[in-house]
Amino acid sequence: MGSAKNLELTGAQALVKVLEEKGVTHIFGYPGGANLPIFDALRQSRQIQFVLARHEQGAAHMAEGFARIKNRPGVVLATSGPGATNLVTGLADALLDSIPLVALTGQIPREFIGTDAFQEVDCLNITMPVTKHNELVHEEAQLVPALEAAFYIADTGRKGPVLVDIPKDVLTNSYPHQFGLPLVLPGYNPTVIGNVGQVKKALKALNKAARPVVLVGGGVVSAGAVPELLEFVRKLKLPVVRTLMGTGVIPVEDPLYIGLVGTHGNQAANRLVQKDADVIFAIGTKLGNRATMRTQLFSRNATLIHLDIDPAEISKVIPAQIPIVGSIKETLRDMLRRIQEKPIRQNQIPWIIGKKSSHLLATQDQAEVLELVIKALSAIDRPLHVSTDVGRHQMWANHYCTNPKHLPLLTSGGLGTMGFGLPAAIGAWFAQPDRSAVNLTGDGSFMMNMQEFAVAVEYQIPLVVCVFNDGRLSMIRELQNAQYGKRHIAHDLGPRIDYMGFAKAMGGTGYRVLHEDNIGPMLLKALNGGRPCIIDFDLEKIAHSGHLHAVANQ
Amino acid sequence: MEHRHIITLEVEDKPGVLSRISTLFSRRGFNVDSLTVGHTHRPGISRFTIVVQGNDQVVEQIRKQSQKLIHVLTVQDLEQKRSVMREFAIIKLDYNLEDSKEINEIVDLYGGRMLDSGEGQLIVEFSGTEAKINKVFRKLEKFKVLESIRTGKIGMQIGSL
Repeated sequence: MGSAKNLELTGAQALVKVLEEKGVTHIFGYPGGANLPIFDALRQSRQIQFVLARHEQGAAHMAEGFARIKNRPGVVLATSGPGATNLVTGLADALLDSIPLVALTGQIPREFIGTDAFQEVDCLNITMPVTKHNELVHEEAQLVPALEAAFYIADTGRKGPVLVDIPKDVLTNSYPHQFGLPLVLPGYNPTVIGNVGQVKKALKALNKAARPVVLVGGGVVSAGAVPELLEFVRKLKLPVVRTLMGTGVIPVEDPLYIGLVGTHGNQAANRLVQKDADVIFAIGTKLGNRATMRTQLFSRNATLIHLDIDPAEISKVIPAQIPIVGSIKETLRDMLRRIQEKPIRQNQIPWIIGKKSSHLLATQDQAEVLELVIKALSAIDRPLHVSTDVGRHQMWANHYCTNPKHLPLLTSGGLGTMGFGLPAAIGAWFAQPDRSAVNLTGDGSFMMNMQEFAVAVEYQIPLVVCVFNDGRLSMIRELQNAQYGKRHIAHDLGPRIDYMGFAKAMGGTGYRVLHEDNIGPMLLKALNGGRPCIIDFDLEKIAHSGHLHAVANQ
Repeated sequence: MEHRHIITLEVEDKPGVLSRISTLFSRRGFNVDSLTVGHTHRPGISRFTIVVQGNDQVVEQIRKQSQKLIHVLTVQDLEQKRSVMREFAIIKLDYNLEDSKEINEIVDLYGGRMLDSGEGQLIVEFSGTEAKINKVFRKLEKFKVLESIRTGKIGMQIGSL
């Protein structure tokens, strides 16, 4: 932040200036009456590119994909009323997966607030529980400080979405805005380094442990602490299990890697955290119910060391015997320094190594095709952005997207948002356009935000959407099979959709795969095409058809 | 074990702060017995006293989740044995001559104050511990109570924090 300066500008101009000073290069969003002054000011910016999504939810997921790749806040802009309400899912998604976002919403002019005016909603209260923080700007003088604070809060501590709601007249009025004033946030002090006493206790417990295990979550990724984590577990030869958001923290071939915990995890991994381990070192995970399954079983025989940047995550669901609040990167560095000076577990033979087990995924209903496609994708050895949607394919992707060049796997872990994958892949490409993007999706998920394919066509994004097409919501069917006595309802998507035709209608390319031999070649062809396309994988045909059959519409 | 906790929050007095606190408590399923809020001697700083039911783990979560709110400055779980707590009540009674002596005695005995009398009605105020206010209400049960209001607790720890 430079020295404070004071400039007579409209609120919209001041806003664009703050964004430029924060290094913003892309905004994803949608215009409307209340935020149009911002668009008018954006026309003057040479630094910021505005990307017009086709729905505000799509814009929010694009900003999330962008933030995951850039590791700094994504920016999303929406108007008042429906613009704001359409953002809610994206904000909740970012909150639960700790993705830094700055969301800007236009609000109706101050004199009309509270009168149920056109396109008025109580944005502040609607978005309060789905943001890390939010503000309604009541006065011109608060605009710049609120925006500067939003970037700081979104991107520090446990990252997350921050929304600033700005009345239209604040955007249009001229005012001597002051920039670069010191932030006044007396109630916000993100912790940086873990308490020394707790760190020592943790190392002592690990030293004494006969059967220790490390459980890694998405916090390790968002802290940028993967190198430290790997150094730590390799030095101490600790077996590693992970949550869904901890995908790719440790390569699957690594002998220390045991598997995914939770409902869709691996038997061996679950056995470790529920039964065998005597010390569990959980890092950057909220120990959510998907990961721990039955909380009374999790860690019942073990001492739990829990390291997280968010103190509220510690002992929230599972009591931790050794809590450590702090930055994962800094705390692991501190631990590495300590074991450098005073080595631990020196003569320990790794108690479990190379033990892999099969996954707990249901294999009915042509699930083998998901496995084939995802394995074929992982075999393509070039850097890619890979996103998933939510449903069966997400779980298969989580096990089989193993190519380190395809990481991070962009997936909606906490909220489980169908429709996340396509816009997230688009956002990722804007963050790093030198690699192609792949969205693995089901037909159910794809239809939640398929309109965003138009954005990929508009920018000629090298994007391959892989639609696993079986005409139904197969995870719903799977659950109805397992838990509702095969009483099926509401899983059938009705008349089959021609996704090849859809791609063409949107101006892209469409492919269809009907035979397993054609899976890998088609993926390569689509990727080599370098343009937006959709591959319709007909699960039933691929599973049953005996002869190679592939068609393209070009 | 479930028991009552008295939590005090010092907050920046920003628009929407009451909403933030109540949203958090309802979303996390924290059970609120009472909530009071008012200004402190420091400009721009308000203070909440919130009485909740819960076991130690729940209260620890309340403390941590409240602390995460950007406008919350401090959170404290008051140690009840080392704290002073007060409630305040205003009660409107139907009034006639034969009751007046006894009502006056109750007001005197419990340190109450007569705020208004007329048109056959009395308004009295009491302040004190929750137990004392409960007792006052029990004593007044035999008269005709027309309206009543009691604040939640406000509290403060004795000695330095």
